[in-house]
Amino acid sequence: MKEMESLLKEAMGQNRRTLSEYGSSRLLAAYGIPTANGALARDWAEVKKAAAKIGYPVVLKLCSPEVSHKTESGLVAVGLRDEADLKTAFKRIGKASPVKNADCLVQEMVKGGRELVIGMVRDPQFGPCVMFGLGGIFTEVLGDVTFRPAPLVESDAMEMLMEIRGNKILGAVRGMEAVDLDSLVQCLMAMGKIGMAHEEIQAIDVNPLIIRGNSPVAVDALVILNPSS
Amino acid sequence: MIRKLDSFFEPRSVAVIGATSGRHKPGNDILLNIAANGYSGELYLVNPKGGEIMGRTAWRSIGELPDGIDLAVIILPAALNPQAIRECAAKGIKAVILAAGGFSEVDEEGRLLQAELEAVVKETGVRVIGPNTSGVTSTPFNFTSSFFPLGRIPRGHISYIAQTGNFATHTMRYIATAEHYGVARVVGIGNKVDVDESDVLEYYATDPETEAIFVYLESLKSPRRFLEIARETTRRKPIIMLKGGSTDGGSHAAGAHTAALASDDRIIDGALKQAGIARIYKYSHLILAAKALSAMPLPRGNRVSYLAPSGAMLVTMTDLCQKYWNLEVPALEESGRSRLQEISPPYIRMRNPVDIWPSAIVNGIEFAYREGMEAVLKDPHIDAVVPILMITDETGVPDLQFVVDLARKYPEKPIYATFSAEKKHMETAKAFLEPRGVPTFPMIEEPFEVLSVLAQCRRYMDRGAGKKGTI
Repeated sequence: MKEMESLLKEAMGQNRRTLSEYGSSRLLAAYGIPTANGALARDWAEVKKAAAKIGYPVVLKLCSPEVSHKTESGLVAVGLRDEADLKTAFKRIGKASPVKNADCLVQEMVKGGRELVIGMVRDPQFGPCVMFGLGGIFTEVLGDVTFRPAPLVESDAMEMLMEIRGNKILGAVRGMEAVDLDSLVQCLMAMGKIGMAHEEIQAIDVNPLIIRGNSPVAVDALVILNPSS
Repeated sequence: MIRKLDSFFEPRSVAVIGATSGRHKPGNDILLNIAANGYSGELYLVNPKGGEIMGRTAWRSIGELPDGIDLAVIILPAALNPQAIRECAAKGIKAVILAAGGFSEVDEEGRLLQAELEAVVKETGVRVIGPNTSGVTSTPFNFTSSFFPLGRIPRGHISYIAQTGNFATHTMRYIATAEHYGVARVVGIGNKVDVDESDVLEYYATDPETEAIFVYLESLKSPRRFLEIARETTRRKPIIMLKGGSTDGGSHAAGAHTAALASDDRIIDGALKQAGIARIYKYSHLILAAKALSAMPLPRGNRVSYLAPSGAMLVTMTDLCQKYWNLEVPALEESGRSRLQEISPPYIRMRNPVDIWPSAIVNGIEFAYREGMEAVLKDPHIDAVVPILMITDETGVPDLQFVVDLARKYPEKPIYATFSAEKKHMETAKAFLEPRGVPTFPMIEEPFEVLSVLAQCRRYMDRGAGKKGTI
């Protein structure tokens, strides 16, 4: 937890509005939320080494607190099957990046047919509130999400899972296993804990939270800081 | 046990500051209300002209009053309120209701005046309800501070918290004159310079006179505290809330889906669910659900049976039960079903919901509804029964005592009556049934809507027992 405190303190000290994806993901991991295996790399040699260690296929993303909307800006490459793929992607992202010499995040390629979203937002009336819903593109398109003020007890989190219109996605559908609800409950409760513990965090998006097999894995995370706190 | 806010709800002595003998003025209507409700504590009237008001000596100033009065109701122009509170404090009065409007709800000047009130509250330690409210009604203590002409307010076990004086004024007058249920405590919290919704909820939570709590609020002054108290309370007492308007909350953090989706309404929805508060959207449900809870127990579940004189009603109510009301219309046990078959002509196949008219044609309305209702009331899969009574001069006007008898025989199952056909018979039936403990509803959707809300309260209560959901 000390590492998290210093991570946040440093970001606040630099007047940053967000944590980098890597920083965000480490924060989640520190609270027990399963995250995609990943490593930060500064140059091609480190990228290559990280990918070999993680194992192909991998995902390569630009990782800088100054850059958001990475997908739209061509700063993400997924499904890189080998070193040749990786090299091409590394060059392309380097060219597209608005920031010179930014770090890259090499991540395992998490496969799963279901994408969920979890989040936290600090509401002016109710304080930190946890969100759960359908993830990926459906978050924006359907807005099938639900909120609860933190902290959550287990039954709160379980009710959130039942409450979305698309809750059947958590069951055994289309040959996929039923989702391990307890581990989702733990993720939601952890979001609440982060909200309660860190005044300086204004909002968190974990989208997508991919269901791999029957278990959730946070694949993309964004922590937004509150500069006035 | 002396509880916080007792001085408001159970004052042994009350001073009305701004009492007057001028008819149709708030400072006079409050006196008529206090008299009509039979308040038996000591009453002190203050008017700078002195003299007599309604046969009582009026004191010329707050300073002349004896020490240690429990409660002062201040009905003075807004600008005079801060000083009046100071004078009350000097006489040892610890609780004050401020009736005047003209504060932050109006303009900048009013906002400054309200800030001054807040400062006076801090400086004196006096507890204040208001300003901009008719204050408190407390029937167990035969007391009201309302300045809206009310007459006697019937006593019951429902308590209200309202944003405005609304409930202690014209809505209360409607309840007192149109319905057959009573209230325990009613508070209009007004501009909340001191006492807020959480303070009142806390009082109601432990109030033995209050069995169910109805809330109308436009804003929450202490939302997290309110939710905490509610979460604890809803294990024992239903809380039903209409949230008016929307707050200007809205957390905006650029680029975050979570923040973009965090509309006030969605967060409030989640917050109320977490606290076990049943959310309603219709003002009329503040009255109808209260009426149902006054007369009948909280339903044990959401499984309903109803008896209707027409196929159209059976079909449309069943659709609505499933689609909007989260009510189940379960199949009956064979013993109940065969009893329904027994009382009906052979051409109709009986089931739930109950098509009662063929039996009524053969056996008469009273027999058909009585036997039909009993058959479904006996069924262990049914939690509540709604008879849709069709009454006309031509088809016969039944003696509705049988409905009352069934309600007494099956006290754990709510019976909500509604009607079809002739209006005059609905009025007569209401006047007969409601004083005898059976609530009635003029429109056929209403008993179902109310049942839907109360079944939700039951689910929240059961949640404490650790029941888990499944996909």
